Amino acid sequence: MREGQPTVLPGFGLTLGFTTFFLSAVVLLPLAALALLAASTPLHQLLDAVASPRALASYQLSFGGALLAACINLVFGFIIAWTLARYEFPGRKLMDAMIDLPFALPTAVSGIALTAVFANNGWLGRYLDMVGIHVAYTRLGVILAMTLIGMPFAVRTVQPALLEVQRDLEDAAETLGAGRWYVFRRVIVPAVLPAMLTGFTLAFARALGEYGSIIFISGNLPMKTEITPLLIVIHLEEFDYRGAAALGFVMLAASFVILLTINLLQAWGRDRMVRRGQ
Amino acid sequence: MSISLDQLTKRYQGVPVVNDVSLEIGDGEFFVLLGPSGSGKSTLLRSIAGLSGLDHGRIALHGRDVTHVAARKRGVGLVFQNYALFQHMTVAENIEFALRVRRVRAAERRRRRQELLRLVALEGMDERLPAQLSGGQQQRVAVARALAHKPEVLLLDEPFGALDAKIREGLRRTIREVQRELGITTVLVTHDQEEAFAMADKIGVMNLGRLLETGKPQDLYTRPATRFVATFLGAANLILARQGTSGPRWGARSPGLHCPGAAGGAREREVVAVVRPEEVEIARSHEELFSSDYLGHGVVEDVLFTGALERARIRLDEAPDAPILAHANADGAILLEATRAQFEQRAFAISPGQDVAIGVRRAHVLPTPLSSFTVCGSNPSAVERLAGHPLLLDLSSRMKTRIRRYLEPTLGGSAPSRESAAALPGTTVIAAHRNVASDAMWLLEQGVEEVLILPEHAASPQRVLIHWMDESARRATLAASASVLRHVAAEAIYVDVLPEKTAATERSFGIRDLLDARSEARVAHGLEIRTELRFGVLAQALTQQLDESPGHMLIIGITSASQLTAELAALLTNPRWPLLLVHRGREALAHSRSAA
Repeated sequence: MREGQPTVLPGFGLTLGFTTFFLSAVVLLPLAALALLAASTPLHQLLDAVASPRALASYQLSFGGALLAACINLVFGFIIAWTLARYEFPGRKLMDAMIDLPFALPTAVSGIALTAVFANNGWLGRYLDMVGIHVAYTRLGVILAMTLIGMPFAVRTVQPALLEVQRDLEDAAETLGAGRWYVFRRVIVPAVLPAMLTGFTLAFARALGEYGSIIFISGNLPMKTEITPLLIVIHLEEFDYRGAAALGFVMLAASFVILLTINLLQAWGRDRMVRRGQ
Repeated sequence: MSISLDQLTKRYQGVPVVNDVSLEIGDGEFFVLLGPSGSGKSTLLRSIAGLSGLDHGRIALHGRDVTHVAARKRGVGLVFQNYALFQHMTVAENIEFALRVRRVRAAERRRRRQELLRLVALEGMDERLPAQLSGGQQQRVAVARALAHKPEVLLLDEPFGALDAKIREGLRRTIREVQRELGITTVLVTHDQEEAFAMADKIGVMNLGRLLETGKPQDLYTRPATRFVATFLGAANLILARQGTSGPRWGARSPGLHCPGAAGGAREREVVAVVRPEEVEIARSHEELFSSDYLGHGVVEDVLFTGALERARIRLDEAPDAPILAHANADGAILLEATRAQFEQRAFAISPGQDVAIGVRRAHVLPTPLSSFTVCGSNPSAVERLAGHPLLLDLSSRMKTRIRRYLEPTLGGSAPSRESAAALPGTTVIAAHRNVASDAMWLLEQGVEEVLILPEHAASPQRVLIHWMDESARRATLAASASVLRHVAAEAIYVDVLPEKTAATERSFGIRDLLDARSEARVAHGLEIRTELRFGVLAQALTQQLDESPGHMLIIGITSASQLTAELAALLTNPRWPLLLVHRGREALAHSRSAA
């Protein structure tokens, strides 16, 4: 690759240099500063911040909720992408455009909107309240907000992959004797699985980092509906920069491990396929 | 029969894409469905596979009615143009797919897979992924995959479309060998006539959703029944000739035309003759023509050397009795095409601008009526307006025939009636107006046999209603209807009208007429028609049905001109739909009887 195969963009050296610089300036250096800040904190103060029962509860909600929201998005994002990719119906274009709305809205607006609908006296919340389901100010609300915010990622990654699965493949499978469920499991899902995993990863990452919309609907009850990003903000408001940095570092490390695992899983799947083919 | 299709119709947004197709394909036959893109051949194939629903008709595979059987239970193998291999599976997994679905044991799967890979000459490729194979190899895998579950029928949808010429050749041979070895009934869809000739036991030619003709390649090439098949299967010159009591003739002399039942008949009728370019002989003069009938003189327009053959295009002289080419070539010029072998080129070299005598070694007369159109009007502007009518232009270009113009002051009732100065050839076209019945009547008295009446605004019809006044007009009306219907994407409906108070015992005769009409259309013209029985007064019942929805055309067979002012008077006052009158007198009936 290095030995001068002419490409459209200028040389390998230049582009790699730029990549390194960009990653360093925007991602690595700030993260390093964060890590440094956390590392220079006295141990007992650090433990106070990251291992307090309140912090542990917030981890549980943040990571568990984001994982759950990403799972929900994996399923429903696929269904939405399927509908948009496969069917022609009036209003399809409009619906397609609406998918991106959670991208464009300031997250606080999403939070207010969700609260208006799901608060105990809200449009839907009032009826859910009757059957004993409370969304606003509970963990359910947190997961709902996380799902909303991650949904576009799940849809937008799967949609093009689905469009690429040719109808002929399904027709071929059908003439070979496969039923619908078999075709779905053995032909469609394997073809879009990489895209689905990417969508899952993105939705998870987005939900984990989400702050604006969740604080409106969660009610922010310590130990119950408090997410880690909020805890960080609380530390900041008390001018406890070190505590905030420590919590931030924990989140960073955990997300990195999770994302890396998913990426490795994907790479392993690809490799296995290629190796089998040789 | 391996595959039998009965009156399949599939509409898309109201337009029939597969139009009343009936077809029988024998055991072990290699059948090729040939047609231009959009002719409905792929839709038909998908219907056989069960992937495309039907609006009407039945499908049977090996005697089993599968019309409502799901694709996965039909036992067919389908191969796609773009291979449609499962990219995430290896070659082995792709081929074993159908066996896995059926829970066949691993050892048996392996055995079958190896057998199939040997068959398509891909041994040892088991563990490759499709992306690691060439296009030709991928299509071989697709063929093996389609055969894994031992289907009774193999369907191939333009399987060579995405391959280059060399690979195409090899794969063609492989598929033909596999087909012979397994003896599996196979249907291949293609738009390439060379491919059809190379592979087919039998060819079916489709256009505009209709199956026009089926037959052995050789038969379809030498004796086509329709203009479309004549020109779609190889190159053809369509020449207007005259056929009378003494046999058909062009120009000055009568040629030895191949035409069954040409004898008999009262007057000369215009016919369309097919002359293949290789049947054209070129010589210095009339006397030097070696083995052919003299056609006329012409000037060489251009000569193209293509290796084994030389292609020449010749502009025919425009003498009054010179033969007339029915249609323009692709570039709009009306030129006669000729191809000559090396030995002919050596015997007589030609160059552009040269005056030559033209002979025809062999010609085939199409059994189709409606040979050409002659537009008639009482003044020049009316003639021009009618000659530019979109429906007429559409019909003539699809039928690959000419529109002649003829000024006839008698029409429209503005001039005193008189004998026509010329014998009007082909189908006469006149404009619809309040008193069109008298125009039509006058034309029929002049000996015209088909009159097309066009209202000013008439689009290409979607439904063609057919009716004849008398059983003796049946044959001619069906022939003319078949000729029209081959060139428009429309459904054909034969309507019979019985009086309101018909007794129940009489009604059964009406129904028998319908069945007769249907079977004659199918047997004599390969045309599928639908039938309807109505009750009431003829003209009213027909008008009512014509007005039910737009897009109708009416074809009506009559035996005497007086019927126009009697039973049909109401239909002929300012008709709003295109109307084709087919007139056969009593003596013409005798003629058509003897022809049969």
